[in-house]
Amino acid sequence: MSAFCQTIISGRITDKATNPIALANVLLLDTYDGASSDNDGKYSFTTTEEGTKILLVKFIGFKAYQMPVTLSGKPLNIDIVLEEEISELKAVTISAGTFAASDESRRTVFKAMDIATTAGATADIAGALNTLPGTQKVGETGRLFVRGGEGNETRTFIDGMLVLDAYGPSAPNTPSRGRFLPFMFKGTSFSTGGYSAEYGQALSSTLVLDSRDKAEMTRTDIGILSVGGDVTHTQAWESGSISGKLQYTNIRPYYGLINQEIDWKTAPESIEGISSFRQQVGKNGMVKLYGNFSHTNYSLYNHDIDDYNQTQLYDLENNYNYLNASYKDVLSNNWIVRGGLSYTLLDNNIKLDQTAIGDIEKGIHAKTVFEGSISDQLELKTGAEVINRNYEQAIYGAGNREFNEVIAATFVEADLYASNNFVTRVGSRVEYNNLLEKLSVDPRLSMAYKTGSTGQVSFAYGRFRQSAKNEYLRVNTALNEEKAEHFILNYQRIDNNRTFRIETYYKRYSDLVKYTAYDLSDLKATGDGFAKGIELFWRDNRSIRNIDYWVSYSFLDTKRNYLNFTEEAMPSFASKHNFSVVGKYFVQKLKSQIGATYSYTSPRPYNDLNNDKTNSGRTPYYADLSFNWSYLPKPYIIIHLSCTNLLGRDNIFGYEYGDVRNQEGLYNARPIRQAATRFLFVGIFITLSKDKSVNQLPTL
Amino acid sequence: MKTLNIVPVLVLILVLALTRLGLANDGKYFEAMQKNIKAIYEAQTIEQLQATVNAFERIGSAEKDKWEPSYYAAYGYIIMATREQDGAKKDAYLDQAMKAIEKAKAVAPKESEVIALEGFAYMIRVTVDPASRGQQYSGLSIQAYQKALAFNGDNPRALSLLAQMQYGTAQFFGSSTSEACGTLQKALEKFDSYKSENALAPQWGKQMAEKLKTNCK
Repeated sequence: MSAFCQTIISGRITDKATNPIALANVLLLDTYDGASSDNDGKYSFTTTEEGTKILLVKFIGFKAYQMPVTLSGKPLNIDIVLEEEISELKAVTISAGTFAASDESRRTVFKAMDIATTAGATADIAGALNTLPGTQKVGETGRLFVRGGEGNETRTFIDGMLVLDAYGPSAPNTPSRGRFLPFMFKGTSFSTGGYSAEYGQALSSTLVLDSRDKAEMTRTDIGILSVGGDVTHTQAWESGSISGKLQYTNIRPYYGLINQEIDWKTAPESIEGISSFRQQVGKNGMVKLYGNFSHTNYSLYNHDIDDYNQTQLYDLENNYNYLNASYKDVLSNNWIVRGGLSYTLLDNNIKLDQTAIGDIEKGIHAKTVFEGSISDQLELKTGAEVINRNYEQAIYGAGNREFNEVIAATFVEADLYASNNFVTRVGSRVEYNNLLEKLSVDPRLSMAYKTGSTGQVSFAYGRFRQSAKNEYLRVNTALNEEKAEHFILNYQRIDNNRTFRIETYYKRYSDLVKYTAYDLSDLKATGDGFAKGIELFWRDNRSIRNIDYWVSYSFLDTKRNYLNFTEEAMPSFASKHNFSVVGKYFVQKLKSQIGATYSYTSPRPYNDLNNDKTNSGRTPYYADLSFNWSYLPKPYIIIHLSCTNLLGRDNIFGYEYGDVRNQEGLYNARPIRQAATRFLFVGIFITLSKDKSVNQLPTL
Repeated sequence: MKTLNIVPVLVLILVLALTRLGLANDGKYFEAMQKNIKAIYEAQTIEQLQATVNAFERIGSAEKDKWEPSYYAAYGYIIMATREQDGAKKDAYLDQAMKAIEKAKAVAPKESEVIALEGFAYMIRVTVDPASRGQQYSGLSIQAYQKALAFNGDNPRALSLLAQMQYGTAQFFGSSTSEACGTLQKALEKFDSYKSENALAPQWGKQMAEKLKTNCK
């Protein structure tokens, strides 16, 4: 009878280098039979099963191996070589140009939480990223200026979808804040160059934000701020969640207390609403919807430089709507599909004394991406997208200027793993621009080589293009796109909570917008320029107990001949040296996290009208010491206090000039200063939930 | 007539045979499980734990409609994670534990013990990087314990683990530990009084609770 037929299966389990693997689990699927391998990797067991069965071998850190075996009573000797699973920590990744932040990943340099807890950043994404190498601090804008690039050369994407104008409106020479709060995102990838072919229409940098999946619990959050308040409610269920937030900001009472450089008629006031919806679809699918509206208004008096008593009224009303819908699903074992649609509406109504200027930009972005692996050595990403921007400026009595731009693009990118230590990424992006009626092809290339268990070298090259700013494109819609080429070399070492990075780059600009003197009607794409530099980053949260700190230094050498420059010169937003130190200290006794940030920016150029050379003037250096304190008196209450520019340094960002020469034959100059020396912020955040130990810490 | 009378007899014999077959199989399952449950409670080293986890995985491979093999495999991996110092390895063990818990949940979605174990896995996740994971995973952990208690309010493990989290929170905020100690008291009572009808149901956790009790005095 068959029950008496026994088969002995034995053999040895090793890795590729023939080292024995102990305690691997060897089993006959769907039966009780099997064994663990011993210290020599040897295993042996007896089975009474017959016919064809599947033999499975598995061990942590290795790919499971399976094969059919025929059981007939004849002893089987099966030696198996297990292949190592490429874990995230062991894998080589392309790190040139990229700073990734995530709470999930163990190898990231930056955590999502870091963005919220960096002193001086007041929970603003750009504010925190401005402490990383590759950025040049331009204190009067609050935007990200990367490696000699202008602020608009950094583009923001949420779940892969483009955001037009990611910053809220701000008063002249006051830093604007990002429209998107850091707590919305589980991952942030900030690239200072050489990024993927998936991202186009960005000349210098991309900020790719990955929104959180479904909320885990139902809760209500209330924020009482020194400049307003907000309330958020989140409802969670098994497979999805929905949340809504309403925020009101009014800086008027604050400005009443602290003297401001600006002569306000009405201080900024804004109302903002955010809602998001998440739903799991099927086993692996996820639909995300995000919508945001905001309304801001303020008005102020600009005083004439030559005659202070002469004023001009500037009144701004800004309406912003953003809608983002994205979908992600697993197609098969090896392929995923993701796609989405985003819509931005940006509507500015400006009044300059009696002149009304209307400015509307609408953008639609649709995209589909397929990602998958062809084999263990080859991963592929390909997709297509359309970006349609419609812009119109209407000046009362002076007519309209408008354009309708359609950019259709497709891209493909392949990651080739020559070994576990060496990866090459080759990509290409093809774009068609309807205004130029031109097809363009931009190559991308990056490589990374792992030099040891913790260090790796990577290189990146790419050609990038971006349409000229709206203010130029509306004048000449046939203006060629601005272009840049990046060459980046990077070394990075991540070792047990310590990170060291050094990166050097060269960037070449061409087809920049150019015009002569003040004639803005004759625009050509004939400008050019370059940027090169070296950057260092060090982070350590191991050496000193409860202290986490990082230090960044960037050296930049850049010159351009664009706009109305009479010669090649350093642009006014650039600075040679940027240095920041960020420290965070957790004091268990005080239930507090205390943080401080020091930033230094070397003198920046400004165009001295009393000198014929372009940008010949130099401002004093910029320095700022900021401080923050988060205190948790109860598990569900957080009190947050922060202050920028603790030392009260009078930072000067540049100079403005009068229209006519004075008696000495010179133009009168007026420094551009900080609107207020310090910004003091106090907030109380309360979370109401069934479980009282939850608070808003991750959201701050 | 005679032939007709034979049908119920045949059916009875068949049923009996099948039941016996079933019993025989269940006996094998029961025996294998009991042997390995004893082994996992007694295992001292990571190696012993891994060997026992392997055995549970083998049983699970044959007994696809039972939650217990996956449960104990997950439990073994969690204990391995607690014995490991290296953060990356801890995470690797916990990843395995979560996979096994998902398997158990697919079979028995409302089993209080499985949900409580999920909370335990989250709790150990926190220890890898408390500063950046504390918030997210302690929330998930407490949520799991509460869910486990909603399925079975008498589950001493869910109570004791919840007490552990409550105690940690109270200690951090310097607030009163009375709520935590109250939950613990209830847990200790349940450890003595609660008896599951399932002979393979988990029994662990009392020692841990008694250890915490020394802080509650």
